[in-house]
Amino acid sequence: MKIGLPRALLYYNYYPLWHAFFEELGCQVVTSSTTSKSTLDRGVMNCVDDACLPIKLFHGHVVDLIGRADAVFIPRLVSICPGEYICPKFIGLPEMIKSSIKGLPELLVLNYNAHRNHKDVHKPYIELGKIIGVKPSKVMLALQKATEKQQAYEMLLRKGQTPLDILKGRKYSKKEECKGIIGLIGHPYLLYDEFISMGIISKLRNRGYDVLVPENIEQSQIEMACSQMPKKLFWSYGKKLLGSGLTMLEEKKVVGIVFLSSFGCGIDAFIVELLQRYNHRQYRIPSALITVDEHSGQAGFDTRLEAFIDMVEWRDEREGYVPPYGTSIFGY
Amino acid sequence: MKVTFPHMGQVYLAIKGLLDDLGIEVVVPPPITEKTLEIGTKLSPEMACLPLKINIGNYVESIQKGADTIIIAGSCGPCRFGYYGVVQKEILKDLGYDVNMIIFDPPNSDYGVFIDKIKKLAGKNSWISVAQAFKRASAIVKEADEMLDIALKKRAREINKGDVDSRLNCFEQEVLSRHGNDEILETIRKYKEILSQVEEKSDVLPLKIGLVGEIYTLIEPYVNLNVEKKLGYLGVEVYRSITLYEWVKLHLSLDVKYRMRHKRILRKAAPYLSLCVGGHAWQTIANTIYYSECGVDGVIQIMPFGCMPEIVAESILPRVYQDYGTPVMTLVVDEMTGEAGYFTRLEAFVDLLEQKRRGRVDGYKEGLFGN
Repeated sequence: MKIGLPRALLYYNYYPLWHAFFEELGCQVVTSSTTSKSTLDRGVMNCVDDACLPIKLFHGHVVDLIGRADAVFIPRLVSICPGEYICPKFIGLPEMIKSSIKGLPELLVLNYNAHRNHKDVHKPYIELGKIIGVKPSKVMLALQKATEKQQAYEMLLRKGQTPLDILKGRKYSKKEECKGIIGLIGHPYLLYDEFISMGIISKLRNRGYDVLVPENIEQSQIEMACSQMPKKLFWSYGKKLLGSGLTMLEEKKVVGIVFLSSFGCGIDAFIVELLQRYNHRQYRIPSALITVDEHSGQAGFDTRLEAFIDMVEWRDEREGYVPPYGTSIFGY
Repeated sequence: MKVTFPHMGQVYLAIKGLLDDLGIEVVVPPPITEKTLEIGTKLSPEMACLPLKINIGNYVESIQKGADTIIIAGSCGPCRFGYYGVVQKEILKDLGYDVNMIIFDPPNSDYGVFIDKIKKLAGKNSWISVAQAFKRASAIVKEADEMLDIALKKRAREINKGDVDSRLNCFEQEVLSRHGNDEILETIRKYKEILSQVEEKSDVLPLKIGLVGEIYTLIEPYVNLNVEKKLGYLGVEVYRSITLYEWVKLHLSLDVKYRMRHKRILRKAAPYLSLCVGGHAWQTIANTIYYSECGVDGVIQIMPFGCMPEIVAESILPRVYQDYGTPVMTLVVDEMTGEAGYFTRLEAFVDLLEQKRRGRVDGYKEGLFGN
C-alpha cells in the first residue's frame, strides 16, 4: 500500500515519526513534492478564499498526491498537550479537505487528541493500523520504533540543527566568525518550506549570521517563559513561538528577531502582538515582522530582510545617526 | 469602582440591570459608531478579528467617560476569544490606561478563582442577593430576545415601512434612563406590547432566511450592518440561530431540556463535522441542516474576517448545500466592509430565493458560492 504524506503543516514537526511508522507497518511512503508555484496555485484553487496560506498549501500538497498514492495521510491533531489546542483549522482539516477537493483517494485520518487524557496516545495509531489491516501488537511495535526515531530527531534539533538541515542531510556547523545570532520565529510549516520562507535561513546565514529557531529551544525553557503570562496560553504552537521568543530575548543571545508569519494566521496575530509589546517595553532588540501570502514577491521580501540586517549592523557602527533602541520620531 | 463592559447587541440591558441591582456604578459604553471602530482599528493588531477591535473602541470610549474596571467573559480556546482579555489589557496598558480587568473564564476546575472574581465585583452584597440579581438579569435577556423576535416577524409584514424600527429606537432612548433590573424589565415588556400592536399585512407569505455564524457578528447589529433590518425591509422573515438567551441557557443555567435539544441539533452535523472546532462552527453546520429541514428558503452565514472556526464551517457548507439544497451565502465582515456592496449581495440573494420559490431557476446550482 502506498501512503501519501503531504509535505505541509506539521510534516516538519513529525515526519520522522510518521515516515518510520508507516514503513514499519510495511507500507510504502510517498511524500508530496517540495512546494512550487504550481503546488500553491492548486492549493489556492481548491480551498476557500478565507483560509490562511498554510491551509491552502496543505490542500495543494494533497492534490499533488492524487494518483500517486493509494491513501493520503491527514493528521487531525486536536491537541498535543493536556488543556491545550493547536488551531481550529487543524481540527477541521480532514473535513475541509473532504469538502474542497474532488477525486480524493482514501483518507487515513489520525485523530489525535490529548486535551483531557495524555495516556492513550497510542490509540489513534492502533485505529490507523486497523484501517490498513495490521494487528495492534505490530502497530505498537512500529510506534515504538518510530517514536525512537522521532526522539533522535528532536535531540538533533535541540543541538542547534534546523529541520531543513536534517531533511537535506547536511550537518550545519556554526561559523567561526559569525556576526551574531538572529532569532527566527515562525511556524515550522512556514520557516522550513523553502518556497514559502524564500530560503530565509540560508539568506541570513549567507550574510554571516547564525540562526536560532524555536525548535532549538528546550521545552522546559518555553514553559518557564510562558508561565509568566497572566492566563495559560492554550495554543501549543503559539506558546512555543512566544516562549522561544521570550527566551531568546531574556538570554540576550540574539542581535535581532525576525518573525515570519502568514497572512490570516489568527494565532500569530496575538502572539506577535504580545511579543512585540514585551520586547518594546523591556528588551528593545531590533525586530521585524515579515508576513507572507500567496502574492508575496521575492524582491520585496529580500528588501525587507536586507533593511533589517542593515538596521542591526548600523546600530553598532553608527549609533549616533540611527535611533538606537527602537524609539523613532514616530513614537512607537 | 466604575464598571464598564464591551457591547454585544442587547447584552448591555442585562449587565446594566445586574450591576445596578448590586449597587455598582456602571458606565454603559456609548453605542458603537464609526468612531468606535476607528479607535479600535487604530490601536489593535492588524490581523486580529473584528470583535477585538470593536471591544477596544468600547473600552477607550468608556474610559474617557470615567470607567476604571472592565468586565468581560473568557474561554479556554481554541478560538481567539479566549485570549482577548490578555491582549486587550496589554494594549490598554501601553496606552497608559491603568484599568482593572476582570475576566470571567468558565470555571473548568478552579471554582475558587471564579468565586473570588464574583466576590471582587459583588462587594458587600450577600450571595442570595447576587443570585437574585443574576436571575432577574437572565429574565431581561430572555424578554429582550423575545422582543427582538417579535420585531423580526413584524418587520417582514408591517404595512408602514419603518414602524417597527421607530418603536425600537424609542425603546433604546427610553431604556438608558432606567435603573435596575425591574425598571428595565418593565420597559422591555411595555415595548413588547407596543411592538405587537404594529399593523401588519395579512396576505403576505414572507421568504424565510436563517442566520448562522459567529456569535458576536450575529448578535451585534453594528457589526453585521443591521442585516436583520435590511432583510426585514426586503420582506424577509429572519430566524436567528444564536441568541443571547440561548447562550445564557447553555452556559450559565442548568436547563437540561434545552441542552438535550442543543445536542440533538448538533448530532445532525455528524456526517459533515462531528466535533467542536472552537467558536460556533459546529453549530453553524448543524443549524444550517436544521433550518433546511424546517423548510427555510435560504441560510446566511456571517463571520468576521479571519475567524478561524467559521472558515472551517465555510468550507464544509457547500457540501451541506449539495445534500439539502438550501442555498447558503457567506458574508465576511471587517472594518473595510462597505455597506452598499453588502446590501447588493443581500438583495441578489433574496432575488434568487424568490425566483427559486417561484420555480423559475434552473441550473443555478453552485452559483451561490465563490468557488
